[in-house]
Amino acid sequence: MNIAWKEIRKNKGRFLILGSIVFLVSLLTFIISGLANGLSQDNAALIKDLPNGQFYMSKDAEETYNLSKLDKDTQDKVLTKQKDAIAFSIQMGFLNDRTDKQHSVAFVTSTDTKLFPIVNKGEVVLDRSMEDDGIEIGDTFTNNQYSGELIVKDFIDQSKFSHAPVAYINTEDYQEMYRTSKMQLIFAPGEDSAEVPAELKAFSKEAFLNTIPSYKAEQMSLNMIVWFLVVISGMLFAIFFYMMNVQKMALYGILKAIGLKTSALFKMMWTQMAFITILSLLLSAGLSQIFNRLAPSGMPFHLTFETTIQLSLVFFIIGFIGATLSGMQIKKVEPLQAIQQGEI
Amino acid sequence: MNAFIIDGVRKTFMNGDVKEEILKGINLSLKEGEVTALVGASGSGKSTLLTIAAGLQPASNGKIIFNGNNMSTMNAEQVRKIRSSQFGFVFQFAHLVPFLTVEEQLMLMLDVSQSKRNKREQKGEINKILKLVEMNHRKNAYPGSLSGGEKQRVAIARAIIHQPKVLFADEPTASLDSNKSKEVMSLIQNLTKALNVTTLMVTHDEEMLIYADKIIKMSDGMILEHED
Repeated sequence: MNIAWKEIRKNKGRFLILGSIVFLVSLLTFIISGLANGLSQDNAALIKDLPNGQFYMSKDAEETYNLSKLDKDTQDKVLTKQKDAIAFSIQMGFLNDRTDKQHSVAFVTSTDTKLFPIVNKGEVVLDRSMEDDGIEIGDTFTNNQYSGELIVKDFIDQSKFSHAPVAYINTEDYQEMYRTSKMQLIFAPGEDSAEVPAELKAFSKEAFLNTIPSYKAEQMSLNMIVWFLVVISGMLFAIFFYMMNVQKMALYGILKAIGLKTSALFKMMWTQMAFITILSLLLSAGLSQIFNRLAPSGMPFHLTFETTIQLSLVFFIIGFIGATLSGMQIKKVEPLQAIQQGEI
Repeated sequence: MNAFIIDGVRKTFMNGDVKEEILKGINLSLKEGEVTALVGASGSGKSTLLTIAAGLQPASNGKIIFNGNNMSTMNAEQVRKIRSSQFGFVFQFAHLVPFLTVEEQLMLMLDVSQSKRNKREQKGEINKILKLVEMNHRKNAYPGSLSGGEKQRVAIARAIIHQPKVLFADEPTASLDSNKSKEVMSLIQNLTKALNVTTLMVTHDEEMLIYADKIIKMSDGMILEHED
């Protein structure tokens, strides 16, 4: 007989409260995680959405990409050696629309590649978030350091850098705006890192992301919040299961007295834990995925299925550990003591 | 026939630095189909003796012989198996599982005792026992809706559903009024005879001794006298 299920059926209120706590805490964690990922995307989607590979910047830039200036010969040498490699530059700046309203953007230019949109001179491809500002294909922009006009050729999804939409421009336009003929960075897709010229320093994608000002600090704070929530949730699980077990000590004692195995009592507790946790996690994961789709476009929220499943697994494992630790008392409970305690 | 033998059982506890002897070498034989009542003042050791005999706590010395086997030398799992399949318990309080119906309480006991019967046979047996204890009309009720006497009847039904060889009853009427106590004791006596069970009961209520076949008076951890 499945006494675990029979207890849930009879004591719906108690299990509903416990389930609600698991649901609320996990939902909060999913939402915070979604916001953390969203902010991370908002800060560095341009880099994060690139395939895995190596980033190179000049050694004397001291790991600050916008101080990096690549020597033309060195750049050509790397690009010749690594066929799919590209050189590119990123600079924060402004675009002025017809009403002279300034739009903060991250200008990006690169050598020919399939990784970034191809842009002709006098054109600009913008991140789609700028559509929300009423900008349309064919609109024109000016820039204080640029003599001509930039016409919007297209929009591209999820292309942000340093919390600003990316504006892809032609290299010639970039050189005019920033009075430089040198690129800042080289990106070489693929796991193999070729021989690095002495004047360059190589970074993995993760290492390069951490050189972006504010990215590391922002992510560290957000990840700390997420993991702190996970730890707190684990403790909450353990405390609630502990309290539930303490209330049931006399019952466990009587069940032991009539001959129920300790392992059967653990099975009963694990079944209940699994039922509550899985149901609550399914609800909170589902709700957070709905929120992921319905969140306002201005809200940096990004929660993938993978992250949801990973966090759910962590929650389940923590719930299991918490319940098991709190259930260690079951092993210690003496039937005799429970009998002498009075009516259950 | 002697189904259960208590041979030279001693029990000592450490109370701080002082060693206290609760049972001082008890010898006792229990017969099938008989109710043996243990009586005595509080602290005489009668409940300790019952719980040792029932395998709920170990003796410090001596033997508990059941079906020719010395339970004192068995490990916890072996004792648990005997407890679940060969023993039945009725406590001072009914100690029913609050989230199971009357029928489910008995079903659980059949599960615990690893009954070989199929579901239909189990249901039949449950109905039979519930009729015996006059509780078949409440088989779908939860313990919370039962009176004290009804709960104790269900506890007795749970104690005998798996056809145990020995029934241990520790003050089974202590939480009941006089009329309910007589009903419950009469039921224990009748079941003991009908099912040929060996019953060991602890009571402090002298009125209930008329339902016992043998009375053992205990004092200060020793048996004072046997009365048949």
